[in-house]
Amino acid sequence: MAKTDGTTDSRQPLISIRNVCLSYGNFQALTDVSVDFYQGEMVGLVGDNGAGKTTLIRIISGIIPPTSGEVYFDGERITKFYPKKAIDLGLECIQQTIGICDNLSVARNYFLGREPTKRFFGVPFLDKKKIRDASAKVVHDFGLRDTVDVDDEIALLSGGEKQTFKIARAVTFRNRVIIMDEPTNHLSVRERAHVNELAVQLKQQGLLVIYITHDIFQIHRIADRIVIMENGRKVTDVPRDAMSAEALEEIIRDGGRTPAKGVKSA
Amino acid sequence: MRKLLRRTDIGIIIGCIFVFALFSVWNPQQWFDWGTLSNIGQYTAILGLLAIGQTFVILIREIDLSVGSVYGIVGITFAGLENSNISVLLSFILAMLLAVLIGLINAVLVIRGKLSSMIVTLGGLFFYRGLVYVTTHGAITGVPQAARENWLAQLFGGHWLRIENGFLLLLLLGFLCAVTLYQTRLGNHLLALGGDPASAESQGVPVNRVRTLAFCLCSFFAGLSAIVTLTNEPETNVSLGTGMELESIAAVVVGGTLLTGGRGTILGTILGAFFFTAVRSEMIALGAPPSWYISFVGIALLVVVTINTLLAKRLKTT
Amino acid sequence: MRQFIGSIVRRHPEGVTISMVVLISLAFAVITQGSWLSVGNMQSLSQLTAVLAIMAFGEAIVIATGEIDISVGSVSGIGALAFLGLAPVVGSGLALLGALACGILIGAMNGVFVALLGLPSLLVTLGTLFLFQGIGYAVTSGFSFAATNSVRQQWIYNAVGNSGVAGVNAGVIWALVVLVVLQLVVFETPVGNRILAVGGDAASSFSRGVNVTKIKFGVFVVSGLLAAFAGVLDAAFIGYADGSFGATMELSAIAAAVLGGCHLTGGRISLIGTLFGAFVLCGIQSFLILLGVQPQWYILVVGLIVVLASLADRTLTRFATKQ
Repeated sequence: MAKTDGTTDSRQPLISIRNVCLSYGNFQALTDVSVDFYQGEMVGLVGDNGAGKTTLIRIISGIIPPTSGEVYFDGERITKFYPKKAIDLGLECIQQTIGICDNLSVARNYFLGREPTKRFFGVPFLDKKKIRDASAKVVHDFGLRDTVDVDDEIALLSGGEKQTFKIARAVTFRNRVIIMDEPTNHLSVRERAHVNELAVQLKQQGLLVIYITHDIFQIHRIADRIVIMENGRKVTDVPRDAMSAEALEEIIRDGGRTPAKGVKSA
Repeated sequence: MRKLLRRTDIGIIIGCIFVFALFSVWNPQQWFDWGTLSNIGQYTAILGLLAIGQTFVILIREIDLSVGSVYGIVGITFAGLENSNISVLLSFILAMLLAVLIGLINAVLVIRGKLSSMIVTLGGLFFYRGLVYVTTHGAITGVPQAARENWLAQLFGGHWLRIENGFLLLLLLGFLCAVTLYQTRLGNHLLALGGDPASAESQGVPVNRVRTLAFCLCSFFAGLSAIVTLTNEPETNVSLGTGMELESIAAVVVGGTLLTGGRGTILGTILGAFFFTAVRSEMIALGAPPSWYISFVGIALLVVVTINTLLAKRLKTT
Repeated sequence: MRQFIGSIVRRHPEGVTISMVVLISLAFAVITQGSWLSVGNMQSLSQLTAVLAIMAFGEAIVIATGEIDISVGSVSGIGALAFLGLAPVVGSGLALLGALACGILIGAMNGVFVALLGLPSLLVTLGTLFLFQGIGYAVTSGFSFAATNSVRQQWIYNAVGNSGVAGVNAGVIWALVVLVVLQLVVFETPVGNRILAVGGDAASSFSRGVNVTKIKFGVFVVSGLLAAFAGVLDAAFIGYADGSFGATMELSAIAAAVLGGCHLTGGRISLIGTLFGAFVLCGIQSFLILLGVQPQWYILVVGLIVVLASLADRTLTRFATKQ
């Protein structure tokens, strides 16, 4: 846990990013990004559009490999990047534009990639009862209206319902890390508060929570640490108490040119 | 130099030079024979015109599987009309109108019906082929002798200074299409639509009109190709054009145009048609069975697609 | 009301085709005064349907992932030739295995290009179509392979070819077996869930840990295998095969799949619908033959039906998913 006096823990970071760069052709998406994430803390990852937040998350969740630099998980260097690996290491993600297959039902989407099975003569068949019951319980617990049948195509859900679904899925499958990329999209005010409460609870349970958002004021209230990115670089990395939300917002607005007051800034 | 290497058709340019050189060295008597070259010119024109039309469609990320059947039906209509004592000029106009009409139907079904072009043109492939069979009952007479002497027929099927007119037509039209594609606003719209449809639309490109134009051009060229064929070789049969849609796609792709849209050249397509025609001619000359040619097309296609796609990916990431 | 119809349409994309099948079967039976339904006609019709259906099932599985395989016609030709070519030499059993192995290998080749190298499936399978069509012609060099008398005695040959149970052809039984197996795999197993997911949204599936490469590779292998098997069944039934075997069948296979409710964009297929789609296509063909109508009307009608069925399906789907 990052201490409130500004010094960082001497424990080993759960995830460690070192000098990571990512380029698409001539476009440099990430430049020399180094940041550590610790177990049991909530890190707010903020920055304007195009800052590279989602790109960084995609590397951490195994979707794309970095062009250069290293990523460590639990002290071990990650050499091959693919999502299954991240999931097996204990990462759960709520991504912005991906994560739901419109042609599948709610239940099938829920268990995609980790479907529970019953074996018949050695052949694994979908345990449809379990799939239906488990997903229905979770989905309704999280507030999806009761008229939604988990066997319905997920395409029928509204944007907010789909978002609730993603959150429910990530939170229920939680393991060691939860990454939330703009989780309050499409949600009502009350639902947003609920999501933030959840995030805090998860952190208190000992998970690492990485929370990407545009709303610096919102995240400043609940995060332990704030990391600001701008144009593919990390420009600020401070514990929450070291700077006010207004000061941090000024940094974002200035495009990273204002030096941060506090411990670390790149 | 780098810009040269980045052209999509650099591969086929090298390929054609290589093929030309190879055949010249290997089999000079048969290769440098005027009859052979003229023949190659004619067949390059036939496949080339067909492939130019296909290029427009592939550039906008669609496909036209019906071009073979369009080629067949327009050709047979042309021959049939002439046999009914209709003037060559009128037959030509009517046949070409049919071609454009088919293109329009394709466009409407894709744009309004919101069906995939693969399905629409697959249906067209069957439908127009069937229409040919049904209306002709399997019996076709070729273009009558009298018609062949007509000035229009000579324009398409004759020759000038011992070069087949069809080939000259290919060069002329190819040049015009290339200029249109790369030097005019219309061409820009087409490339933009293929490269990024969403952006193109938001930038004010009249996407539906451009799409319609592409489909109509494709059928139009298929029809032209048929006219060129029949005015040159008047004998024909009911299965005219069968399989040519696949060959046209092969020529376009080998010519460097990417299926992902927005990138490709007319020159590449013409060279692609030349490439296959030349290889087939040489294979026949050397006595290889026709099956070898078919397999060659397959291998060439696989090789070129692999190289092109991997190269495109590399260029994106370097 | 709209919700109700909507939910039926969504869960059963083959609805249009099945309705069509029922309607045209009635129409055909009436128009031909019953002879369309005769035992003889039904037997030959069912055999043709079975062969096309098996090929179309493989196609449907590929389409489910959002790809396409237009080499299936050529592959079925290779399967037929391999089977009849090898049978006199090594016996029907090994010949069958050899033919299926050819299908698997060709499918694997397609799979490597599409799944591993990321090339567009239309072009890759177009290339394989040409390549193996040429090989098929070259291997037969104008002649045809025929089943010798000794081969016809072998039980495996009969198991895939001529025999039947209670008047039902072996081919039909095999088609039903394949249908049941595939239906179970696609809709009742994790692999099937992932196949549909990949077709629906490959990026999302990937982010959830699905091995998209393996899935795409696998479906091409299945397609190749089934296409070769279809070729074997056809060859065993007819008793001979030549270089042109299977040519243009890929178009019918795709048509059957589309008719059956498979969406070319991926993620939505119906195997039962595909079977009915194959039946519609073959049924029309036999109907025209019975009527003495020129068989050339067949392809004209097929073309119309493919487009009309797609339009109907598209309209129904939009009606059903409008909230």
